[in-house]
Formats: sequence, structure tokens, C-alpha cells
Amino acid sequence: MKLLNKTIRSYLIYSFTILLVTIPLFYFVVRTVLLHTVDKSLRKQLGEIRSNLYSIHSEEELGIWSKLDKDISLSPTSINFKDSTYTIYKFTRKHHEHEDEPYREIAGTITVSGKLYKLVISSSLIENDDLLGSILLVQTILVILLMAGMLWINRNISKKIWQPFYSALNNMHQYELNKHTIPSLKESNIEEFNELNKAIKNLFDRSHQIYIQQKEFTENASHEMQTPLAIFQSKLELLMQTMPLTEEQAVLIHSLENTNQRLVRLNKSLLLLSKIENNQYPATEEVSIITIAEKIVDQFRAHADLKKITIAEKYTGNTIVKANTTLIEILISNLLSNAIRYNIPQGKIHIEIEKKSMLIQNTGLPITLHTEKIFDRFHKENYPGGNMDSIGLGLAIVRKICEMYQFDVSYNFFNNLHCFTVNFTQS
Amino acid sequence: MKILIVEDERELLESMVTYLKGENYLCETAADYKTARQKIESFNYDCILLDVSLPDGNGLSLLKELKADKKTDGVIVISAKNSIQDRIKGLNSGADDYLAKPFHLSELNARISAVIRRRRFEGNKILVFHEMTIDLAAKTISVNNKNVDLTRKEFDLLLYLAYNKNRVLSKNAIAEHLSGDEVEFLDNFDFIYTHMKNLKKKLHHAGCKDYIKSVYGLGYKFDI
Repeated sequence: MKLLNKTIRSYLIYSFTILLVTIPLFYFVVRTVLLHTVDKSLRKQLGEIRSNLYSIHSEEELGIWSKLDKDISLSPTSINFKDSTYTIYKFTRKHHEHEDEPYREIAGTITVSGKLYKLVISSSLIENDDLLGSILLVQTILVILLMAGMLWINRNISKKIWQPFYSALNNMHQYELNKHTIPSLKESNIEEFNELNKAIKNLFDRSHQIYIQQKEFTENASHEMQTPLAIFQSKLELLMQTMPLTEEQAVLIHSLENTNQRLVRLNKSLLLLSKIENNQYPATEEVSIITIAEKIVDQFRAHADLKKITIAEKYTGNTIVKANTTLIEILISNLLSNAIRYNIPQGKIHIEIEKKSMLIQNTGLPITLHTEKIFDRFHKENYPGGNMDSIGLGLAIVRKICEMYQFDVSYNFFNNLHCFTVNFTQS
Repeated sequence: MKILIVEDERELLESMVTYLKGENYLCETAADYKTARQKIESFNYDCILLDVSLPDGNGLSLLKELKADKKTDGVIVISAKNSIQDRIKGLNSGADDYLAKPFHLSELNARISAVIRRRRFEGNKILVFHEMTIDLAAKTISVNNKNVDLTRKEFDLLLYLAYNKNRVLSKNAIAEHLSGDEVEFLDNFDFIYTHMKNLKKKLHHAGCKDYIKSVYGLGYKFDI
């Protein structure tokens, strides 16, 4: 649920409850006030009649007088009682509705010529009820108008007020840590949103700083590793020269050296990765993919020959990309060296360069590799004989280079061929 | 032959000194910029091994000073930063060669020999081992004055062994020397065996004694 709807819903529920409670309350209050007014006027009328009684001298005069006013009725009585007011429903022909109408009456006693009479003055309440109805109707319309207006204003103003919030949200969605392009945060005249923007900018800046530090750390760590590795390497070489050198020692030294070589390669690959990430290959030029591919194939031909692997090249169209030559060399040679390493004896490698794409296919064990995971760092496939000296960074480097230049690299296994495709379309 | 080694890592410095002393070089050392500068100003060396990152300065500016003074010492720049830009920067500053850490001592030794030979023995670039003669300029080899036809890789292999004569050379060092950067991606020694087999066969046919000895699967030794 949206924040806006949530607040509006609360307002609505509150307003509606208040409305439900106030309408009957209002009705009763107004009704009581009206009755009170009618009662007062009836009592006043009765008082006036009593004070004017001196002008009536005979029973006949009283009869005539009482007939002059339809609202007054007179009847002889024997009991003297206190004035009382009450509401009564009577049938009248005044209105053409066959319904009883409400009347308010006051009953009291008067004495004319020594005789006691009961005097009743009635006043129709029908006008009062009409008035009450009108008042209530107007009231209800007013309340509804008020609520509708409130809703409308709330909705519109809120949208405007929350605008900076939504733009801040959008900015956070679009933020990329490695690029650190802080989009311009909208200035708002609302303090909270300015605070929010400030906090977001701070967060971006700090994250980026930490990210940079981490990147630098990887690079610095790899650099620092070079020296101890060099020392270790040199000591091993000195150890080899010691006399006498037994076979047992030689085997141990050989194994140590291989391990050290692996460390050296691992470290170099890590360094290369972090250098690419840190954008330390900024120089770009027009690079011909075919020229590089031919050079790399040439370098690897001797290695391929040893395994009796044939490399077939098919160039149907060239691609010129704007990139760093070294990185493109690494890209192609990583793919090609994999194609040799994971090949079978007397296998085949097929390199095809078309306009805007390169395809490297190789024969190998019929094992489908994870199409996505193989590009992950240190991901190792269960590939018999292939893992022993694998560092697990070759394809991660390939992907990183492709990401850098917006190339698209993909793997598939089809027709018993492992196939890597690089799409060079640069957007 | 006098060599100055400028390197701030004591252990690495010691290793280099130990290995190079065995090659009958006179080794002097400097662990910082200041010492190195004093020594370079006062003496002449056949070769200077220069580490780029020193605690109190950059090795490359030392190299620039050296060139400004018109000194003719051979210089090999050693750096932990193995990037092409660094390599180009080092060579552009007048270095004879560039070596990235970590390196094999045998590789360092071969490079030193090459630099010194290039600078010192103008015109006379010939190595003789009994019946075998290696012509560095023509990149040819003859046994008992008869030319032996070697491939480029076989020649490189033999020269590398010859530069490090009487030393055990590990297969890793040979592989790296022969294939340069490619070895980072391909890690089998099969191609060394092939080249080694062919080289030994050709030398044997030419009547050369078998100087190349295998050392328990660890590597090879040019025993002379």
C-alpha cells in the first residue's frame, strides 16, 4: 500500500466515524433547543392570556374568544393543576396527509367569573421538523463537501510534496557503485526531504569511498605479495643449487616450485582483475580483432601441435573495436588457452570471426558446463583432468573485459562442441 | 665484472648476491636511494640492477640521473609492477632491460650476461664450451667448427642453459623463459620436453658430448 493511500485512509475512517456520531447527536441537540423555544413561547402565550382575562366578564364572551383561536381549547374542570407541556400526535385535516402530526401543547387552569377552566394551547411542530430536516441536510452536504475537498487537496498536495522523495528513491535505484555518478538531488523547501537527500548523498559518498578503498586494497595486497613470492622463488632456486641434491629433495623442491608458480599466477590474475576494475587500462585505440586473433593463434600453435590439436581459422568479416590492445589480447588468449587446455588429444579448435562477433569452438569432454557460473571468480567445474592447475580466474577476466567494453560473452555446449561467443556490438 | 644491486628487500637482495657471486660477479649492494646514488656517482659498474620502488625515492629517477651524467653502466630495471606502461617507461628512461617481480634468478643472470656482453664485447660475441661455439650475434652454434641447425626456440634454450652453466635450472624457469607471457595461461612442460629432446638429438648428431643433464624431474643442468 502506498504511503499516500495509507494516510488518506486513516483520515477517511476518522471523518466517517465522526460524521456517524455527530449526525444523531446534532439532531437531538437541535431538536431539544427547538422544543425548548416552543415551550417558552407557549408559556408566554399562557401568561399573556391569564393577564388579559380581566377583560372577559361572562361565560359567553369566553366562548367567543376561545373560538377565535383554533390553537386554543377551553374546557371546564374541577381540579386545579400546575402548568404542563407535552408533545402529542393529532389527526388534522389541515394537511392532506392521513398521518398524525406532532403538536406541542401547554395545559393550565384559568378562572373566569369564579369558574375553573382548563386551557390548552397547542403549537404545530411540523414546521420545526421541516426546519430540523433542512438543517440536517445542509449539514450533511457540508460535511461531505468538506471531506471530499480534504481528500482532493490531500491527494494533490501530497503528490507535490512527496515529489522530492520519489525522485530521491529513483536516484537510489539508478545509483551504481562502481560508476559513482551521483544524480542531482532535487532541492526541496521541506526540511525533512533536504535531510534525506543529504543523508543519501553521504551514504553514496561513503559507500563509494569504501568501495575504492577495497579495490585499492586488492591491488595493493597483490602488489605486496609480489615481493615475498619473489623471495620464496629465489630461495627455492638457491636451494636447488645446494650440493649434494638428492632425488627426494629435488622432488620436494619441484613440487614447492610448482605451488609457488601457481601462487604467482593467481596473484598476477588477481592484480590484472583489479587493474581492469580500477580502470588502469584507459588507453584505447582502434583494434582489429582479426589481427590480434592471428597473433594469438600463432603464439599458441606450438602448444596446440603438442596435443595434436588442429586450429581452423575462418574470417568472414573483420571487427574493429575501440579498446585497449593488451586487454583484447588477454581476452582472446584466455579463451584460446582454455580451448587448448580443456581439449582432447587430436581435437579441433574452430575460430570464426564475423562482422561484430567472434566464436571459439573446441572439442572436449561431453560435459555441459554451467553457462552462467563458469564466468564467476574461482568457480571450478567438475571437469576431469582440467582442474589441477586451473586458477579459476581466466573466464572471470574475460567477462570483466567484456563488461568494460560492453561486449557480450556467452557459452553454450552444442553438437559436442564447447562454444564461446563474443559479441562486439558496442552501444 | 662489477654489479650494483639496488634493492630494499634484504632477503631478495641476499638471494641475488648469493646466486650472482657463484657466477664470479663482484656484487655491491645498496638498500636505499641515497646509498645507491653515492655508489653510482663514485664507481663504474658493468651492470646495475635497479628496483623501482625504494623507501626514499624512485629507481627510475636514479636512472635518469645516471643517463644525464652520461654514465655507460648497463641497467636492468626490476619492478613489482608488471604493467606494459611501466615496462615502456623503464626502457624509455634508458634501461637496457626490464624484469618484473617475481622472477627466476637464472632469468636475471641470463639477462645480466646479455646486457654485459652487449656493452662490453663489441663485435666479439662468442661463447665457447669445449667443442661447442655459440655465436650470439649470428644466433648460430657450431660443434667442432661444423654448423648445427637449430630452431629459434632450441637456440634460446641452449643459450639460457649456457648462461647458467653448472646450475640447476627448473622446468618452470625454462618454460617461462621460452614462452614469455604465454606461460601464464598454459601450464604444462610438454613443450620443454619436445624442444629439449630435439636439441639434445641435434647436438649428439653433431658429435657434441652430452652436457645437458636432467635433474630428477626438477629441471636441467648444463654441466661443463
